Amino acid sequence: MHDRQGQGPPRILVFSTDKISDPAIDLAGLLKLHYPPTIYTVIVPCSSGVKPRWIMHALARGFDGVFIAADGTDCPYSPACTEHTGKVVGRTHEIMKNHNINPSRLRMAAICSVCSEAFVRQMKKFHADLAEMQNKTGEENQE
Amino acid sequence: MKEQERSPKMIHDVLVIGGGIAGEEASLNLAHMGFTVLLVEKDYSIGGKMIHLSKVFPTLDCSACISTPKMSETSRHPNIKIMTYSEAREIKKSKGLFEGKILKKPRYVDEDSCTGCQLCEEVCPVVVPDQYQYNLVGRKAVYIPFSVALPKLAALDIDSCIRCGACEKACPAGSIDFSQEPEEIPFQVKAIILATGYNLFDARKKADYHFGQFKNVIHAMQMERQLVPTRPYNNVLRPGDGRIPDNIAYVLCTGSRDKSVGNPICSQVCCMYSIKQAQLVMGALPMADVTIYYIDIRSFGKGFEEFYQQTASMGVEFVKGKIAQIEEKENGNLILHYEDIENGGKPVTAEHDMVVLAVGLTANSGITAEFINQEIALDPFDYIKPKDRIVNPALTSAEGVFAAGTATGPMDIPDTILSAGDASAEAASYIRRLE
Amino acid sequence: MKEKIGVYICQCGSNISDYIDVNRVRDRIKDCPGVGLAKITMFACSDSAQKEMIEDIRGEKLDGLVVASCSPKLHLATFKSVALRAGLNPYNYVQVNIREQGSWAHSDRPADATDKAIRMIEAGIARVHLARPLEPIRISTVNSVAVIGAGIAGLRAARELADMGSRVYLIEKDHYVGGRTAQWTDLHDTEKSGEEIISDLYAEIDRREDITLLTGATVKGMSGSVGNYEMEVELRPRYIRPEAVEERLAEMMERCPVSVEDDFNYALTSRKAVYAKYGTARPPGPMVDRAALEKESAFLAEYSDCIDLEQKPEIKKFKIGATILSTGFDPYLPPAGEYGYGEVEGVITLPQLKRLAALHAGGSLSHKGKKIQNLVFIYCVGSCQSEGENKYCSRFCCTAACATSLALKNKHAVRQIYHLYRQVRTYGKYEVLFDEALNQRDIFIKFDETDPPRVEEKEGKVYVTVRDLLTDGEELEIEPDLVVLITGMVPSSGRARVAEVFKAPLGRDSFFNEVHPKLRPVETVIDGVFISGACQGPKNISESVQSALSAASKANAMVSRGEMELEPTLAEVNPEICLWCGECESVCPFDSVQKVVREDKEVARINQATCKGCGICTPVCPRDAIDLIGYGNAEMESMIDALIKRGEDHAG
Ligand SMILES: Cc1cc2nc3c(=O)[nH]c(=O)nc-3n(C[C@H](O)[C@H](O)[C@H](O)COP(=O)(O)OP(=O)(O)OC[C@H]3O[C@@H](n4cnc5c(N)ncnc54)[C@H](O)[C@@H]3O)c2cc1C
Ligand SMILES: Cc1cc2nc3c(=O)[nH]c(=O)nc-3n(C[C@H](O)[C@H](O)[C@H](O)COP(=O)(O)OP(=O)(O)OC[C@H]3O[C@@H](n4cnc5c(N)ncnc54)[C@H](O)[C@@H]3O)c2cc1C
Ligand code: SF4
Ligand code: SF4
Repeated sequence: MHDRQGQGPPRILVFSTDKISDPAIDLAGLLKLHYPPTIYTVIVPCSSGVKPRWIMHALARGFDGVFIAADGTDCPYSPACTEHTGKVVGRTHEIMKNHNINPSRLRMAAICSVCSEAFVRQMKKFHADLAEMQNKTGEENQE
Repeated sequence: MKEQERSPKMIHDVLVIGGGIAGEEASLNLAHMGFTVLLVEKDYSIGGKMIHLSKVFPTLDCSACISTPKMSETSRHPNIKIMTYSEAREIKKSKGLFEGKILKKPRYVDEDSCTGCQLCEEVCPVVVPDQYQYNLVGRKAVYIPFSVALPKLAALDIDSCIRCGACEKACPAGSIDFSQEPEEIPFQVKAIILATGYNLFDARKKADYHFGQFKNVIHAMQMERQLVPTRPYNNVLRPGDGRIPDNIAYVLCTGSRDKSVGNPICSQVCCMYSIKQAQLVMGALPMADVTIYYIDIRSFGKGFEEFYQQTASMGVEFVKGKIAQIEEKENGNLILHYEDIENGGKPVTAEHDMVVLAVGLTANSGITAEFINQEIALDPFDYIKPKDRIVNPALTSAEGVFAAGTATGPMDIPDTILSAGDASAEAASYIRRLE
Repeated sequence: MKEKIGVYICQCGSNISDYIDVNRVRDRIKDCPGVGLAKITMFACSDSAQKEMIEDIRGEKLDGLVVASCSPKLHLATFKSVALRAGLNPYNYVQVNIREQGSWAHSDRPADATDKAIRMIEAGIARVHLARPLEPIRISTVNSVAVIGAGIAGLRAARELADMGSRVYLIEKDHYVGGRTAQWTDLHDTEKSGEEIISDLYAEIDRREDITLLTGATVKGMSGSVGNYEMEVELRPRYIRPEAVEERLAEMMERCPVSVEDDFNYALTSRKAVYAKYGTARPPGPMVDRAALEKESAFLAEYSDCIDLEQKPEIKKFKIGATILSTGFDPYLPPAGEYGYGEVEGVITLPQLKRLAALHAGGSLSHKGKKIQNLVFIYCVGSCQSEGENKYCSRFCCTAACATSLALKNKHAVRQIYHLYRQVRTYGKYEVLFDEALNQRDIFIKFDETDPPRVEEKEGKVYVTVRDLLTDGEELEIEPDLVVLITGMVPSSGRARVAEVFKAPLGRDSFFNEVHPKLRPVETVIDGVFISGACQGPKNISESVQSALSAASKANAMVSRGEMELEPTLAEVNPEICLWCGECESVCPFDSVQKVVREDKEVARINQATCKGCGICTPVCPRDAIDLIGYGNAEMESMIDALIKRGEDHAG
């Protein structure tokens, strides 16, 4: 069912938030802190509003990883944002397990509106981890 | 100077002078109430001191993150006209209205076409100390003031420019314009809000601390810059040798509560910002020791005492003692002399490898001299004096002129917001009463 | 589905085109389904480019707009206004960020940046395809504000609101206005006494027709939503006949047989059961302490022309657009035994001392028949308790204590004051008062919280023992005439009811909590409910007034235009699918989900006036019945598809 299967560099879908994490991702660009170009963002108002089905859709269509750049304690809507976003991730992890998808392909971290360095660090790490996962499954397939 | 006739008179309800957090808050309130505002800022960008702070006490919100939305809201509001790099001059009251001129200083970059792409900055060969980083690093002669500046446009510092023309060639929009001249544009308003903020105490005046001489003695604003998320170095460093410090001292009340430097009052924010910085330093350098030398810890605001207690429990050391003198050792370390007040007041010394001077705030009320036929009274410390602190705290001695924020005395950001809200309310009802 | 979408690809000078091959991008995009026009522009935000777009939209009858340029944070508003000026609904416009998240982020890999730009623009096109035109939600607002509590904060907010053009209902639970300010003389920021300040303000309020003052009033309930609340208030009677003659009232007050403790003087004196709070208390006239007087039938009969115990509480209802809470504080009341309070004679609190001084205006002090010449002040009582409940600093007390000690020596022939303190917090310019106290040779002794002073009674005398940290922990014994506990502030007891009615949240310190402590100190999470004065946290008078006026300006801005616009990108429930389980209701931070019955079925409905469009409710719905407008499954999934589409790279 994948449109593309594990070839090429890992592709990551990032859910960023309008007021908090997307400005940080912008700032990373401004400072020319490079990160892999196969990382794409989709903006939502609040990270607690990301639906598990969108994440599953992205994975089914061939994204290797999904990253939620959460509002954390800076969330302008709810002090319980981290908890809500955490639940979204938790529920999706369950669904992923049921579909035999490695849950570590979904990650979340709070990215404040100027945390560009943190964002880039997270992305590089996630990208490298996904590449390693690909290699492993690749090797397994060859055996 | 360009001829005045060419510029039509700007007519607004309120002139707000100073685009720090006080000026922004006052302008936005008035704009939301339906008044038109002319906001004049003498610097290249609005944002005041707050935009340069790292995180703010006691919530440790990142300062840029909470400032930038306010700045862009101010700049976007249809009722607010912002003029940066401009100053109000020769303000006169006649027939109940205020008239005067706005001096628009040349930026040598065309504001309408520049896109802030920074290509000019890349090619400019001149490097001078960057005042927005409190001279910790350098900048070019043509430069974007800082990464979150608003407007985000280049500015050309003509004094350090060598006229090589490199920027002119590099600019894809053709925005560099060496022919710009100062402009004077007349204005007319019904009320004025003074929000000109404060100055940092000049630490060199405290000769015994040898700021400017001893490299590893820095002031708190420099520390703020070292701690911001977009910090110039990637870590907290000793300017003397670029080493990571591991034993930092804070000297509170540098230039405050000190008659010898002419500033007997307390600056109201230094205790708290030092405590905040101590927490941030502990985060950045987990192995470092931080000691705060104080006279009294004035954690008086909402959530402050709790923040102070939390900081103490994190291991920051608080020592009651006024630092009399600082000496430098050959390795750049510093010896602090003080009276150990809680242990009998014996004179003692302590060694640290970096010292942060918690400099106080001083008045910046020079704008009052621009009023031609009105007197704006100052208090004994040169801050703008409220006419009636209890009933109309924002009203100055001149009817129709109000003051907001640290232009009226030292205060932190929440108090500045309240003071600015007050000024906007008093100005609004003053105008409604005129009508 | 749109048929004619206009796509503009900005070079941003060379900021984008140096890294992204814009021609290649245009070639890939121009044939996408639904794209009617694809152009490259030098600066999309420039005036000339904006004009060109407007002409294109009108001339080519474009039904959607995509601008691929810099971050939407910079220019979303710019291009929305382009759409609006061209007659295109601004919600049919999408900005794609190929600069900050494209050319700049990947300036090291131009070919990959180009590929990413194509995918991002295709995602933008997919989104515009599904976009639907929206109008901002407009709600009407009532230009009236209720101010709860008529202390200095409430009185000042009311006056300013009226002058700014709002109608005001000023609601005070007491029968007289003024709150605590009326109790203090020798205020440090003014020459006037508290009573004078309050009387002057009352006169101003009284003059303004737009202010309705309701005293003896309790808020019973509030319903509706921002801009249109309905408030219900109960007015308790004073039991005085309106037609009663002034001389008879004066005579009655004097002859009243019942005396009780006087709260206004913190029980230092007593008052009659028919009384005014203080001489010049406003609104003028006496009131009856019903509980105390009920049994005095002879007296009641004698003055039946003045007193009417049959008067009944009255209910008043009115519409308001917003509310300002200014319910103030109570002085901390030490439990019996704290520093000898209530047990040792000669131990009082700062509020009591202030009243004592007011009662001995201009002369020497005495307390319970004893002349007061030497006093000990013990600071931080009920504040900064690292073990106790009140962890916070009460802010005003160090300054008030220093100011009081100056007045005591200047006006009340006091000889010496010992200040037993932990930290002297005379912040800012109040430092001058501390300095003056030092100059008049007051004695300051620093103690540690873990080793507090001891107050004892020996042979009818008070003794205070304290270890002085400033003299190497030497133990001192002082024998004062009076010990004064410098007590802090706690939230007023009146606030509990208010918190319940308005759902205004309390902070860790149990004062009312603001939305954002730095930038929004007078706003609460409830739209249209503001907080001001000491009910938000300890403040002195001038600070209370600043916060009151700040709240007044926010409230006026909110309601005075008669109309409010709300963003239309709100949550939406599909009632066909919803089976009311209440999950969404339980997570909504703004209480915007309501249960309604629709076609005999219980379903959720979103309150448009209060929904903030965060989308927190959308993932929790077990039936996937809620979407945020603009962020529906179709939109999100088609964007995801566009981003991942085709195994091939566009980089070529
Ligand atoms: C080291 C340090 C750390 C701090 N940390 C914190 C913290 O963590 N939390 C906190 O709450 N507070 C903190 N503060 C205090 C905070 O900086 C102030 O409360 C706040 O910036 C005051 O805002 P303002 O608008 O009154 O003044 P400013 O920020 O000084 O703004 C005044 C503006 O007016 C402009 N201006 C001046 N004169 C003129 C003129 N003649 N014409 C036109 N424009 C003019 C200036 O260029 C400036 O933009 C800190 C202060 C310092 C020194
Ligand atoms: C001992 C002492 C000395 C002080 N000295 C000074 C000084 O010298 N200078 C200075 O600046 N400040 C001084 N202060 C501080 C000053 O008293 C406060 O800043 C000020 O009173 C706060 O005003 P407020 O309107 O917020 O609250 P309050 O004065 O407490 O008024 C609140 C009002 O709300 C009413 N209310 C409460 N609940 C309800 C309800 N549910 N419904 C309707 N109404 C309600 C109350 O009855 C009251 O009238 C002193 C304080 C103390 C304790
Ligand atoms: S002046 Fe020109 S080159 Fe410099 S930033 Fe502005 S547009 Fe770019
Ligand atoms: S705030 Fe603290 S450091 Fe600053 S002057 Fe006042 S007492 Fe000194």
